[in-house]
Amino acid sequence: MIFGVLESFNDTPLLLYLAVFALACAGGGIPPMIERRRRRGIENELPSFLESLADSVGAGRGLQEAMKEQSEASESPLALLLRETLKEGHASSFEASLSAFAAKTRSSQVQRVMMLIETAMAQGSSLRDILSDLSRDYERLNDLMNKRESELQGRGILIILFVSVGLPVLIAFIVGLFAPASKGFQISSFNQTFGLFFAAASAVGVAVSGRMMGRFKDTLWWLPMWMAVSMGLYLGSVKLVGG
Amino acid sequence: MRKLEEKRELLYVIRTLDVLMSSGVGLEAGLHTIGKGGYGIISQDFSAMMKRLQKGNSGGLDKELKSLSKVAESAGYKRLLNTLYTNVTQNTDLVETLKKQGARMEEERSEEVEKYIEELGGVPETLLSIGMIGPIILAIVGLVPQLMSGDLGAFMSLPDPAVISGVVNMGLIGTLVGMALIGLKAHTKDPGL
Repeated sequence: MIFGVLESFNDTPLLLYLAVFALACAGGGIPPMIERRRRRGIENELPSFLESLADSVGAGRGLQEAMKEQSEASESPLALLLRETLKEGHASSFEASLSAFAAKTRSSQVQRVMMLIETAMAQGSSLRDILSDLSRDYERLNDLMNKRESELQGRGILIILFVSVGLPVLIAFIVGLFAPASKGFQISSFNQTFGLFFAAASAVGVAVSGRMMGRFKDTLWWLPMWMAVSMGLYLGSVKLVGG
Repeated sequence: MRKLEEKRELLYVIRTLDVLMSSGVGLEAGLHTIGKGGYGIISQDFSAMMKRLQKGNSGGLDKELKSLSKVAESAGYKRLLNTLYTNVTQNTDLVETLKKQGARMEEERSEEVEKYIEELGGVPETLLSIGMIGPIILAIVGLVPQLMSGDLGAFMSLPDPAVISGVVNMGLIGTLVGMALIGLKAHTKDPGL
């Protein structure tokens, strides 16, 4: 059956090449998604972590002690990573552990915060005020990022579904119904043109959707898949409806 | 692109300078810390500026800040450089100004994100209108020579099929360009979070 389906697209080799390329690219698209989810989880925890640190430091604890307490107080990814780093760094300095922790999170937010904390420690500034300010700053930033994501995600998915799925099926239905190949209509050149158009339109739709949500580069991995889906849906539906 | 990068990094630069200078670090040392990296295009600017200052082939920090503000593209970055310049020439309360500027930048960023979300609200509808109506019409146009090839064709003189095919192709390319231009709004209006 699989070979039968593949055979029916023999006259459009681009679709077959694109499908193979899409499969390979999908493998590259999954790690950034997992990594992003993990990083955003850590970043969303950062404000409350900083606030707790500010409270502990304000109560007279040292930063190292406060961090150790916070890392043991919860089972969140941020706390687990910090606990792990502090344990590993028992033979190195606290500053080195902070740098290692920042690098492990792979989050620019955490790295910036740790750099500021290190600077403040080196200069002997009031850590309580700085931590409290940072907590407020990053809470607002994360709220904005989450808001952008939640409000634009639906619109992004709508664009992809309509352009890559809805439109090819609709046009294929019109073409298959009014000019079926089974009744002698010569539409192979027409189908090739529209197949290419849907692939290109899908690429534009997916790229716009990705840019809207601020993750254009991650979305590029899925571009060939949506192009192949769109092209395949059109050509498949035309064959299905028009014979 | 530069403008977007400046906007993305500026608030962090202001906060870092604020922390550094509140802790008693001097302006040049603060600029040097930022120039060491971590703040994208602004780090590159400050690093190049500090290198020129260390070589001694510039007219001093004030002149460097003035010339850098000509390169800056975002209003916030220009404002920061102007504040630094004023501090160098008039010895103003820089920490207080940085705090105010940080708060202002944050407000502006929130407003810009709200505006971005609002402006992009119409993008899917516009994109789908052009992306769907164009191909539907062009598909019908492309099928006309086939649909009207029988008796119906005798009543009307249709253009050459090659001409119709050319029109359809051009129309489809136009539709793609239109879709891309509408989508470009998502890039150009990005608030740079």
